Amino acid sequence: MAPRSLGLTLAVAPIVFFLLLPSLIIIPMALTKGQLIQFPPQWISIHAFTDYLSDPQWMRSTLVSFQVSAFAVLVGGVTGTCAALALHGKTFAGKSLLTGLVLAPIVIPLIVLALGSYLVFAPLRLVGTWPGIGLVHALLVTPYVFISAQTSLTAELNPALVRSARSLGAGRWPVFRHVIWPAIRPGVLSGCVMGFAVSFDEVVVALFLQGPDTVTLPVRMFTAIQFELTPKIAASASLFILLATLALVAQGLLARRRPA
Amino acid sequence: MNVSGMNVSGMNVSGRLLDVRHVWKSYTPDVFAVRDVNFTLEPGAFLTLLGPSGSGKTSTLMMVAGFEAPTEGEIRVGGRDVAGLPAEKRNFGVVFQGYALFPHMSVLDNVEFALRMRKVGRGDRRRQAMAMLDRVGLAAFAHRRPRELSGGQQQRVALARALVFEPDALLLDEPLGALDRKLREQLQAEIKDIQRRVGISILFVTHDQDEAMTMSDQIAVMADGQVVQIGTPAEVYQHPNTAFVAGFLGETNLLPVVVRGVENGHAVVRFEDGTTGRARMPRGGRPPASGASGFVSIRPERLRFLGDGASSDHSTDGVVGGHVFLGRHARSTVRALGQALIVSSLDPQRSETVRIGWDTDDAQLLAPEGPD
Repeated sequence: MAPRSLGLTLAVAPIVFFLLLPSLIIIPMALTKGQLIQFPPQWISIHAFTDYLSDPQWMRSTLVSFQVSAFAVLVGGVTGTCAALALHGKTFAGKSLLTGLVLAPIVIPLIVLALGSYLVFAPLRLVGTWPGIGLVHALLVTPYVFISAQTSLTAELNPALVRSARSLGAGRWPVFRHVIWPAIRPGVLSGCVMGFAVSFDEVVVALFLQGPDTVTLPVRMFTAIQFELTPKIAASASLFILLATLALVAQGLLARRRPA
Repeated sequence: MNVSGMNVSGMNVSGRLLDVRHVWKSYTPDVFAVRDVNFTLEPGAFLTLLGPSGSGKTSTLMMVAGFEAPTEGEIRVGGRDVAGLPAEKRNFGVVFQGYALFPHMSVLDNVEFALRMRKVGRGDRRRQAMAMLDRVGLAAFAHRRPRELSGGQQQRVALARALVFEPDALLLDEPLGALDRKLREQLQAEIKDIQRRVGISILFVTHDQDEAMTMSDQIAVMADGQVVQIGTPAEVYQHPNTAFVAGFLGETNLLPVVVRGVENGHAVVRFEDGTTGRARMPRGGRPPASGASGFVSIRPERLRFLGDGASSDHSTDGVVGGHVFLGRHARSTVRALGQALIVSSLDPQRSETVRIGWDTDDAQLLAPEGPD
């Protein structure tokens, strides 16, 4: 999209620059020669990346993060989609209350959610396990998938298609599989991408529920910045930037593939 | 009750007798969208539910299709009540406005869909679907996507998809509603043509009286959730029961009269000018009582200018107000009987004062409207 005017561009440029600067500064910092994270960096070496990739603890954390987020997206994707399907096209007393309940994890303070799940999970022995963190993250993913599934149900699904399929003999499951899912798939997947991003860099819940073997990558970075100041932090942060860029590209592609 | 061998007009017929009996529908208590609707669709016949929006025609079709449950009443297919069955358990082919073809499937997959749902084997269903596509002249388009086809081709795919599983009837919900006139006429002809070849019975819903007239064997005119008149297009047009039917099916002249009695099956009425004449009794509804005032409907093309020596059952003098030339015919306004009458004729009178006449069979006494 072309900028409307030069003035607008000049006004927006510093804001964009300010928003992007902290992210972009990470990459040069990861390329430092020194053993400490510092600014300005001493160029140029990739030892921070190799250190990161060869440190078993950091690799373990990376794996845990992927496990947690994949699990969260899987569970949250199913529950978010199901919730949107269940509420679609229905009117009943208490519907908006139920919708609010599904969306609640977005507004509930994370610290409250973290503390609450710690107290509930402790007796269930889920504290210190990656499925434990994943379950709470699934709660955070659900509203994102719910919103995008709900939007595609209203915008992309022609109700006459559902009726056509039924008149041709399709019951609930075939209607979902052949008519509803193809229409809402791009929306649900883009909700999942959002959810993955939310889960992958979540710190508060992951900090409360961590165990010796289940330190997620953001928690490891958070701890390292306090005690080690290693450039591995910047190296792993570059991974986040890479993932975020991929997510944005994926969303763009999904949006474009959506039928007009 | 075996009627499947019945033959409507000498062609092969398929489909089973559809009988709608005393069907009511309310969405909110005490407000009825459909009130005591009755009709019968014979195998191979073409019945149209015609009415303005909100008349209950689509609600009725949705109940027959199984998307809505009737509040009361029976929907019988071949003698069996299907009112409790969901849409997917009924056996009707439904065609919607815009056709609702599955956009992500090929034409062939669309047509195969119902057979797939009925667990027909891959080879069989492919063969049957191809045969059906061939029948509608689209075999060459089997692997295209619906959006790559023209509107007319899409309609043929929709019909093929709805016919391939040998349904009990086709239900068409304003399929041509959003199209321009020329395309509409072409697609109307195609629907009739396919119906003639397949012999399937069709229940058609439209708000367009021309469409209803050109396509149907029978028209059920609906208003306020009720069927106000049912009959062949000619019957309903020429002998409307009420002013609503008369007005909805085209232009008409409504002459205020006072009913004097009944003689030999005809109503005797007194016109505004004091002359007495006869009119046909309404077939349905409550006929106006003797001494009551009412209306007689005469279609503009049934009024004629009487030249020298010409005669008709009834006539009156009038003054020509003006002519509008419409190509195939001309439409004249004539002041007579204390009102402006519309006369449609091939060659309008040039003189200012004229004599116009009509026959008893073309004067239709109307039943009063409102709740029975």
